[in-house]
Amino acid sequence: MRALQPALDALVVTGNGASPRVLKDAGAKEADLLLAVTEIDEVNLLAAAAGHRLGVQRTLARVRDAEWFGGDQGFARDILGVDAVIDPEHATADDLAETLLLPGAVHVEHFAEGAITVAEIVIREHSPLAGVVVRERPEPVPYSIVGILRGGAVLVPTAGERVQPGDRVFAVASQEQIAQVVAFLDGAPEEVRDVVVLGGGRVGGHLAKRLAGRCDVRVLERDAERARLLAERVPQALILHEGDLSKEMLLAHGVDRAGAFVACAGDDRTNLLATLHAKQLGARLCLAVVTREQYVPLVDALGVDGAFSLRLTTAEAILRFVRVDTVRAMHLTISGAEVLDLNADPGSAIVGARAEPAGRLSGCEVGAILRDGRVLIPAAGERIQAGDRVLLFRRRGTAARVEHAFDA
Amino acid sequence: MRWGVVLPVVGGALLAAGAGMLVCALVAAGYGDGGGLAFALPGSATAALGAAGLLLGRRLPSSPLRPRDGYFAVTAAWAASAAAGAIPLLAAATFAAPVDAFFESMSGFTGCGATLLDDVEAEPHAVLLWRSLMHWIGGVGIVLLVVAVAPATGLASQRLFFAESSSPTTERLTPRIADTAKIIWGVYLTLTVASCLALFAAGMRPFDAVNHAFAGIATGGFSTRTASIGAFDSLPIELVTIVVMALGGINMAFYWRAVHGDSLRPQLAEVRAYVLLLAGGTAVVAASVLIADDVSGLGTALREAAFSVVSMMTTTAFITGDFDAYNDFARLVIVSLTFIGACAGSTAGGMKVVRFLLLSRTAVQEVQRQLQPSAVQVLRLPGRVFAEDVRRTVLGFFFVYVSVWALGMLVMAAVGLDAVTAGSASAAALNLSGAGLEAVGATENFGAVPPAGRAALSLLMLIGRLEVFTVVALLTPAFWRRRWA
Repeated sequence: MRALQPALDALVVTGNGASPRVLKDAGAKEADLLLAVTEIDEVNLLAAAAGHRLGVQRTLARVRDAEWFGGDQGFARDILGVDAVIDPEHATADDLAETLLLPGAVHVEHFAEGAITVAEIVIREHSPLAGVVVRERPEPVPYSIVGILRGGAVLVPTAGERVQPGDRVFAVASQEQIAQVVAFLDGAPEEVRDVVVLGGGRVGGHLAKRLAGRCDVRVLERDAERARLLAERVPQALILHEGDLSKEMLLAHGVDRAGAFVACAGDDRTNLLATLHAKQLGARLCLAVVTREQYVPLVDALGVDGAFSLRLTTAEAILRFVRVDTVRAMHLTISGAEVLDLNADPGSAIVGARAEPAGRLSGCEVGAILRDGRVLIPAAGERIQAGDRVLLFRRRGTAARVEHAFDA
Repeated sequence: MRWGVVLPVVGGALLAAGAGMLVCALVAAGYGDGGGLAFALPGSATAALGAAGLLLGRRLPSSPLRPRDGYFAVTAAWAASAAAGAIPLLAAATFAAPVDAFFESMSGFTGCGATLLDDVEAEPHAVLLWRSLMHWIGGVGIVLLVVAVAPATGLASQRLFFAESSSPTTERLTPRIADTAKIIWGVYLTLTVASCLALFAAGMRPFDAVNHAFAGIATGGFSTRTASIGAFDSLPIELVTIVVMALGGINMAFYWRAVHGDSLRPQLAEVRAYVLLLAGGTAVVAASVLIADDVSGLGTALREAAFSVVSMMTTTAFITGDFDAYNDFARLVIVSLTFIGACAGSTAGGMKVVRFLLLSRTAVQEVQRQLQPSAVQVLRLPGRVFAEDVRRTVLGFFFVYVSVWALGMLVMAAVGLDAVTAGSASAAALNLSGAGLEAVGATENFGAVPPAGRAALSLLMLIGRLEVFTVVALLTPAFWRRRWA
């Protein structure tokens, strides 16, 4: 608590978070929102249920094992009093799987109920975008470039910005066309046929289950019991019980020839070290899960292709829940960019505005618009209409008031 | 030994055997062809002794049953039943030597079906019925019957249940094991009645239908004819018998699950493999006799092969044609199938299909492990994951089983049988198939085996019926050492 208090502009109370008395003392009766996000499912569910009874408007619980409510959201809401359930490990595993299944991408996120996709791509020398001005980019199918990550900093590209090799770009396209766009921008995409996953915990387990049957999955796990459990649950994957991480061990399991390497062993240092090894050995696509902010600067330096943060995944889920009216979804990248999925309410200030980084949208880039069920990549002069779903890209901490323009 | 739990089990088994004898005495009175007194007196005595054991046992303090008590109680119950069952066979002058009567009786209760009778038709109805009835009482387990009917002994019932059938898939269908035992006996009874009606409809006389239903569903093999099913020379009867034997070879719990609407997945893999083995075995044997033997036409070959394969793999050993007259390949295929046997939890003998599947999986995984030593291997069948100690138990079972068979073969050779007869006689007793090759072949009886060999074969039958560990544990010095108590 002493560590927390100075870092947070919030009231910190010590006590059992699931206790009705503690909750009452903390002011649950007048609270709009209760977030129960400890590491323990039971505590979260109890706290949410207690909060609900005490009169909290809405409750959110982090639950890793959906068996608690039998996978039935209605049961969770009506019987347990939990309005929303989040499972960051599962969500992260889904993100990792989406990325691995989209050749050329190092990170993938879906928006507008899956209609619009944002992909992060590393631009290499042979990419048709290398050295090209954003406005003059070749476009085999409609897509937009909403952001560039260069030297660890995010920039919203001006029309005259030139893409350089080594940049990472954020490309937006409809879900049907994103594979084509990513393949085109990468220049030489290769389908991932075999994946080595370090760590068979919650993330690794979900990931193995998602990928099993689609590609060859090998999971390296230190803990014998966990390895056994995973082998029972995911028969299609090869589960290997291996001790400490070493280059030799990775080499013995063919990491050098692997199409992808994913480090999700539950410890940031292990994950980053393993990814470094894997990259040096020659694994093509190297993804790592990191939890602590302090390791984020290392991600780029170590040559990790894509980093996935459990903390940000949790934050995304919570933010989406908190701002339910106009913000339909959001995605936070480790590098400090934000992608927002917004609803343009009829009568809001944004209706009629040009979909370009000026005026009300200054500092933001419009990636795509979902209008009447069709995905639209905005051309110059395109205006936002009432009822549009607008995908916005911005640097974290800039254009903070843009959401309000969408509110009626 | 905790007599408080051993006595009721032995008593209950004897009571069941005695009741069966009394039924035979009534049948003897009905037909008037002799054997009435030979069954009435031993029957009453056995039943009285059994009831006494049951009552006395319940007065003794009932303590929790240790594994050793369970093994001892179950083995004792089976041995006592077989001994009691031999008495009417001696009294009715069917056999003169006690060892012969004991052999026949043990062969009856264990569902082996190996006989010493030369001329079956010469025996009175009571003796014929008693042979089939022993099959039937022993069918899904005499101790299971005690557990089902006797008032619950709690934990004791459970130990007894698992001591009698140690298969890797044995599982409870209900919270209380006594209820599971009731269900299994209920399924068994239903199948028996259905088989009886079907055999009657196919053209058997009522007495034959009852006897062959008992012997068929219990996968025993005693017939009311010397020439077995072949004596009827009827395709409908053969077809119905094939179905009856095949049904007897399936886990009784499987039927319950099917009727009850429970998931069949845990046992589906075994049943599927069982049916495939039956079909595959039939095809291979039919093809080989068509090629190598003098058989007239595909129809005859299929008819004979199907009957022989189903009869032997379910370890029943009803006979229509002499499979021992086939070529050596077909003979060995048939004998090999008796080692696999039918499904666990059925009335059949052999190592059981599920163990065969698990052993095959283990073999494949062991080869893979040489290439990938750190791979985590899970012993699984479709729909079911097995704990690692199941793997160990199955491997141990296999070794002990094969060792017992080999020892049996050596004993048979030592008492003077030739190599093929010795090996197949040991297999016929241990696998409870009841028919072997050469001197103990399909159309022969076990008369060629000298008395000492008959005693040894009786022991092999008991070992096979109780799935080796139960009896073999009793034969180890450690079992009797006090400090292990």
